[in-house]
Amino acid sequence: MTPSTPKGLERHPAAEMYAREYKAGQLSRREFMTRATALGISAAAAYSLIGLSPAQAEAHMQTPPMGGSLRIQMEVRALKDPRTYDWSQMANVTRGFLEYLVESRADGSFHGVLLEGWEANEDASVYTLRVRPGVKWNNGDDFTAADVAANFMGWCDSTVEGNSMAARMGGLVDPDTGVAREGAIEIVDDMTVRLNFPASDITLIAGVADYPAAVQHRDLIGTNPLDHGVGTGAYRVTDYEVGVQARLERNPDHEYWGNAYLDEVSFIDLGQDPAAWFAGAEADEFDMTYETVGEFVDLFSAIGWTQSEVVTAATVVIRPNQNNAPYDNPMVRKAIQLAVDTQVCLDLGINGQGITAEHHHVCPIHPEYAELPPLTVDKDAAYAMLQESGHADHVFEIVSIDDDYRRNTTDAVAAQLRDAGFNVERTVIPGSTFWNDWTTYPFSSTNWNHRELGVIILNLAYRTGVAWNEFAYSNPEFDALLDQANGILDADARRVVMADLERILQEDAVTLQPYWRSLFRHHKPEVINADMHPKFEVNIHYLGIAA
Amino acid sequence: MGLFILRRVGVMILTALCLTFVVFFLTNLYPNLEKLAKTQGNARMTDAEVASWIDRNGYGGPMIVRYGEWLGVVPGWTRFDEQTEQWRGRCFERGENPEDAPRFCGILQGDLGFSTVSDDEVSNIIGGRLALTGVLMFWAFAVMVPAALLVGVLAGMREGSRMDRSLSTFAIASTATPEYVSGVIFIVLLASSTAGLSPWLSEMGWIEGRTLFLGSARSAMEDGINIWNFTLPVLTIALYGMGYIARMTRASMAEVMTAQYIRTARLKGVSFRNIVLKHALRNALIAPFTVIMLQFPWLLTGVVIVETLFNYNGFGWTLVQAASNNDIELLLACSIVAVFVVLVTQLISDIGYVFLNPRIRIS
Repeated sequence: MTPSTPKGLERHPAAEMYAREYKAGQLSRREFMTRATALGISAAAAYSLIGLSPAQAEAHMQTPPMGGSLRIQMEVRALKDPRTYDWSQMANVTRGFLEYLVESRADGSFHGVLLEGWEANEDASVYTLRVRPGVKWNNGDDFTAADVAANFMGWCDSTVEGNSMAARMGGLVDPDTGVAREGAIEIVDDMTVRLNFPASDITLIAGVADYPAAVQHRDLIGTNPLDHGVGTGAYRVTDYEVGVQARLERNPDHEYWGNAYLDEVSFIDLGQDPAAWFAGAEADEFDMTYETVGEFVDLFSAIGWTQSEVVTAATVVIRPNQNNAPYDNPMVRKAIQLAVDTQVCLDLGINGQGITAEHHHVCPIHPEYAELPPLTVDKDAAYAMLQESGHADHVFEIVSIDDDYRRNTTDAVAAQLRDAGFNVERTVIPGSTFWNDWTTYPFSSTNWNHRELGVIILNLAYRTGVAWNEFAYSNPEFDALLDQANGILDADARRVVMADLERILQEDAVTLQPYWRSLFRHHKPEVINADMHPKFEVNIHYLGIAA
Repeated sequence: MGLFILRRVGVMILTALCLTFVVFFLTNLYPNLEKLAKTQGNARMTDAEVASWIDRNGYGGPMIVRYGEWLGVVPGWTRFDEQTEQWRGRCFERGENPEDAPRFCGILQGDLGFSTVSDDEVSNIIGGRLALTGVLMFWAFAVMVPAALLVGVLAGMREGSRMDRSLSTFAIASTATPEYVSGVIFIVLLASSTAGLSPWLSEMGWIEGRTLFLGSARSAMEDGINIWNFTLPVLTIALYGMGYIARMTRASMAEVMTAQYIRTARLKGVSFRNIVLKHALRNALIAPFTVIMLQFPWLLTGVVIVETLFNYNGFGWTLVQAASNNDIELLLACSIVAVFVVLVTQLISDIGYVFLNPRIRIS
């Protein structure tokens, strides 16, 4: 167990229960690991719960044999300044030579990559980052605190068009100048950087583990990594053709600080049609998929590929906007919630590929998730409540984008509301125009991506007046509790507040949020460490092929 | 003859001008530019941001002027970007000094422009892709033309015979099956490890791999062409055109076989074999020659479907990518290539006709 792993990820009441069951022989070790890690416990902490030594904890990632070449089916997009990456696919290619300070693993735990470790003070407003010693750039320079500080300066620069890292840097950015606050980023010595936030911030580590946070050389901030190829990773790009393929090989002129197994990795672009991916798999064009979707999950399994599944906090909300009548009336919103069964949305929307959620947008894999009493569905009570509110004649128009799962889920909601006696109309808008007004439709569906912590999503979407608050939700009590939760680094302590936050969201019937999506990936049985990642990350340093 | 070719080249240039203007006009309609702005910038841009993006990236202003810029008869646009305090323009990289750059950069200067989807110069992309398609077309023709002529001649030499009927049925069936149907059928029958012939063959131990052929031609681009990766795409293209050419050849052959000089030859006691090979064949091949030449432009559209279906990154695939990603300059370059191929093959067809048929004279 590295000392840097956030404390909250070490314990979870359900995991402790699983640990007892494991010790009583009711659970296999593998089953225990799957369940415990799904709760957000780091693999290392999970091992320690069942009394295994931390050294054995590393065993969950296998050590592949050296050598081999691997082909991965993935879109190959044009690269640009990593800060402005808007697709995980771009980062998966550059991750072979541009590494990250911290990585988040599929089990939700954070591990240092270019950082050896990090500490936060009591209220999580000052972070001390310790740089990993012995790391070299492939141009011969040493990797030092100056590189880390330069990257933070670059990430904080919100004047760069499309720099999404600025939003992740929070209080480090000076809102007046749009660049890093004076004195926010301090180089303590060659191997230490200190970050000073004006207030608590517990999302920093999650932010620097995200895919646009690729660490560039201190003199090359803001450049396209494909143009210079300078990085700390073990690989180098030999061929990059957008829409066709990208190829990386082990860099013979560079001494990598860690381990890398494969000699060569190709990313093969087979377009966006899953049928073409499947045809490619049949023709032996590649060894693992980037993501397997829909009905193709079963098809890939049928041809003997290994399936890897991960539950994520990616979801869809079907929400009323409270600026529009009659949705300003809490009884109407409550009636809508009562009429909709989340299981039906899961089955019809995404073919049952996920788990049900509880309309409060905090996922069981979030470390601070608190379990609430189960939801009830009662269509008669829903209609009675709708009549009582005086809006029984209202025509509920539900808007969705024209695609597969979002449209189907919204249709499932509409059908259930009709069953309950609501007067429902469905409108489907093409993707090119849907996003123009996505925050202001009276009643519509939106997909939300996975985020590492429950508070991140609540801050982004449910706080009064924030840009992405598509619910037009405003509750001072909720905001105050959220401020409080934002200052608690320890997930166990934060869970107490989170239980209240979740309960308020349910009571105010802010949104329908029926399920969490599972993501799937398939690979040939001989591919090692190719498990699906909740944010689609592929780190080619870990991959290997069994002899 | 020289005048004829000169006139043809003139027509070619005029056609290319008209066609590219139509493509330019359609791809530069405002809703299309709005889509481009949203894909290049950010899917959630506001209308004002879209307008500013369009102007900053040189898509503003009258369309005819921008067409002129693309042709290279109007100086390329330059804008001073207030946000980054840099000059931007058509003819130079961002941040360079506009003074050092050429004023004109269009087709006439040999600059095909910049492909937004590939993030590269169009001229760097299109050459390699055309070469790949050339290889595919070569093999398609190598299969299609001899097979079609054989079927056509066999069917046409004895009109109404059993052989004629069965070969004609085959030819009609193959030409009535478009590529997107035959390609899918071939994949299911021959290139799936769970359906069609492959599981059975594999069980019998007659094939080594999991499938008889590969349902993807991607490996042909790198590891070279072999019978596993290239059979299905070549067959899919060839089959459709083959039926058509075979029908034409049959009609032409049947007509020649009723001609006076054939009857005379028969009366003289020439063997049927010699009549067909020495007397009828050459005359019967004049009409199919034009049809075969007409197949070139037709194949250019055929490869769009086949290359996409079999994941072969040639010209057709590039055209699909350019169209679906709104890559205006790549799309325009593709249309120029298409015009060029169509008119050059027609020129060859006209000239070749003279040599095949002495009765026809040019000019």
